[in-house]
Amino acid sequence: MTLELRNVALSLNGAALIEPFSLLIEAGEIVTLMGPSGCGKSSLLSHVAGDLAPPLEGRGDIMLGGVKMEKTPPELRHIGRLFQDDLLFPHLTVGENILFGLPRGLKLERREMMRTALQRADLEGFENRAPHTLSGGQRARVSLMRALMAKPRVMLLDEPLNKLDKDLRNSMRNYVFGHLKARNIPCLLVTHDIEDAPTGGRVFWIDNRKELTLA
Amino acid sequence: MTSSMMRWAGFLPLGVLWILPLLLGLWASFVAALDGAGWVSLFSHPQFWPALKLSLVTGTLSLVISAIIAFLIVAALYQSVAWQRLQGLMGGFLALPHLAFAVGFGFLIMPSGLLARMTGLVMGWADPPQWITTQDPYGMSLVAALVLKEAPFLIWLIASLLGRTDFAQMLQGHWRIGQSLGHGNASIWLTLFIPQILLRLKWPLLVVWVYGASVVDMALVIGPTQPPTLAVIIWSDLNNVDLAINDRGTAGAWFLTATLAVIAVAVHGVLTFATTLFKSFYARGPGHGHISSTTGLALLIGLAAIYGLVLLVFGIMSIGALWPYPSLVPTQFRFAAWEQAISSPQPLLNSLSFAVAASIAALAMAIVWLETMAEKRDRYLLVLAVAALALPALLIADGQYLAFLQVGLTGHWSGVFLAHLTPVFAYVFVVLKGPYRAFDPRYRSVSLGLNTSALRFLFAVKFPLMKLVLASTLAIGIGVGIAQYVSVQLVSSGRIPTLTIEAVTLASGGNRQLLAVYSLTLALVPLIAFIAAARLGRRLP
Repeated sequence: MTLELRNVALSLNGAALIEPFSLLIEAGEIVTLMGPSGCGKSSLLSHVAGDLAPPLEGRGDIMLGGVKMEKTPPELRHIGRLFQDDLLFPHLTVGENILFGLPRGLKLERREMMRTALQRADLEGFENRAPHTLSGGQRARVSLMRALMAKPRVMLLDEPLNKLDKDLRNSMRNYVFGHLKARNIPCLLVTHDIEDAPTGGRVFWIDNRKELTLA
Repeated sequence: MTSSMMRWAGFLPLGVLWILPLLLGLWASFVAALDGAGWVSLFSHPQFWPALKLSLVTGTLSLVISAIIAFLIVAALYQSVAWQRLQGLMGGFLALPHLAFAVGFGFLIMPSGLLARMTGLVMGWADPPQWITTQDPYGMSLVAALVLKEAPFLIWLIASLLGRTDFAQMLQGHWRIGQSLGHGNASIWLTLFIPQILLRLKWPLLVVWVYGASVVDMALVIGPTQPPTLAVIIWSDLNNVDLAINDRGTAGAWFLTATLAVIAVAVHGVLTFATTLFKSFYARGPGHGHISSTTGLALLIGLAAIYGLVLLVFGIMSIGALWPYPSLVPTQFRFAAWEQAISSPQPLLNSLSFAVAASIAALAMAIVWLETMAEKRDRYLLVLAVAALALPALLIADGQYLAFLQVGLTGHWSGVFLAHLTPVFAYVFVVLKGPYRAFDPRYRSVSLGLNTSALRFLFAVKFPLMKLVLASTLAIGIGVGIAQYVSVQLVSSGRIPTLTIEAVTLASGGNRQLLAVYSLTLALVPLIAFIAAARLGRRLP
């Protein structure tokens, strides 16, 4: 599966925010996007996910595995997302948070998948815990597992490491990138900090001409 | 003056004018209810059990249906262009008092009403249909009127909640995550939003339910009065000249309150227990169901059309001297009712004086409390305010009537003013507390650093910056005050005519033109107050 952005551009109230650009992200590749605050990085992710709201407007083709996504509603695009906040649902337990994204099916089978996901996140036995009883790192891992268990075709990461302390940040970076690469999921990462970018990966910068340049 | 003395000086008016009348009222009613004869008489009343059932059915049905409509509209319009305007639009719906709406809705749905005339025009009816619409024995017209009045209130509450930055940001994040995990908007609302919103709206929902199950003025206007709801029986008993019957009314008010309290606690318990069942529904996986914005817009337009027709029918009826069926407009027009209302302005002047005085006093007392008391003490006042709103008005008004009788306030302007202050202050405090406490304290530090006195800071900085909130709160106070009926009738002993008292009296078979004039006036006063507040608040310095 590849993610291709073809002649994609963003505007705010009709004024250009990001000039047209094209980008192909291969399966398992993690492309980093950087730029000053307000340059439209997060809005670009929203455009890809399909939930960009006015007065922002996006143009160009978003193609997943060669298929145009413009007319596909956000919930049918299978695009996973991670944000600065873990956004675990506070009224559901850890296990229910993961079940929330698992495709419908046999109850026992789904529960087994949820437990496997918690095992992979080193959170075995945490399924009945409330999210607020977990540490920041544990919550971040649940959040990632929740996104991965929904079998996303692409992942969009919007500064997911920003609120973590330095040690946790390093371990979470390796953890997240490891899982994405192992599953061959193309990924677009938005960050302020170059240290968050995977070693050797492509890094793009939105410059003051509102154009994407390879750093 | 020390800060502790200032606090007490600030608390004193609130204690004397609001807390004391509220607690004394409840106490007086409680003492009166200790008379066993009232209870025996209540339980042997031939219509008691059917009336209780009717009250519970109308209250519960109206809450459930209005909540479903409100959530459908909000879910359909969330994230749409119309969403930004939804809350403001609801202000217009809320401005129309319940009583005035009931009168207008009655005019619309009665067999010779505007709806039957419009339908008759298409169907070719020569005579009014044999419909039992108003005064239907099952209370369905009351349920419909309550639903149409409460749905906008619930929409306004939900929109206000979703407008709070922290909650809105959290739900916005949940929305995106929900979509990325494959859930459509219907599924996101059912599994993520509604459970979290309901948790925060428990008390307002209780207030709506209690209001629906204990409403008097709407039931007197639109029915059912035969067979009656329990509130109508209690109301009739409290207005009886026989003291023994009065005691039965007091017992009835306590019985209704206790029944509602027991049911509320039981429902809360059952829902808590049932959470496990709901949770398996929440976690069953993505659903692609979609509520289109067209559905929300259609419901909203339908709601607006009914409110528009209510105002239209008031206007037409107030000047229609002869309006034979099936004509859509009167065949003769006269302004006699308006002339009569203008030549006898006492009901309007009384209503205005109570509503405006109570609102100003309530706003002043709320500001003094919020300025002089620590935020942690708010919860005590909030408990009392919620009690004043969640307890049936019948109970509080009856108690205040009995208490004021002892101190010679019954039948006087001051007594009726205090009775108005009870619900008005409760609403004002509940509405004002959040935004007032959220005011950035750094403005005060900056002002005091510029050698500005605390009082000058209030009038030169804080109040001007908060003028929209203050003006809107005042408008809400006026809207609540002008709509009071039960307390005015009891505490004034029927000696002080107001718009609501005149409207209810005329609704039982009086001059319809004059009823339309009073109802329209009742509708226009809060509407003008809301529009004035919005304009005042938006004017730039």
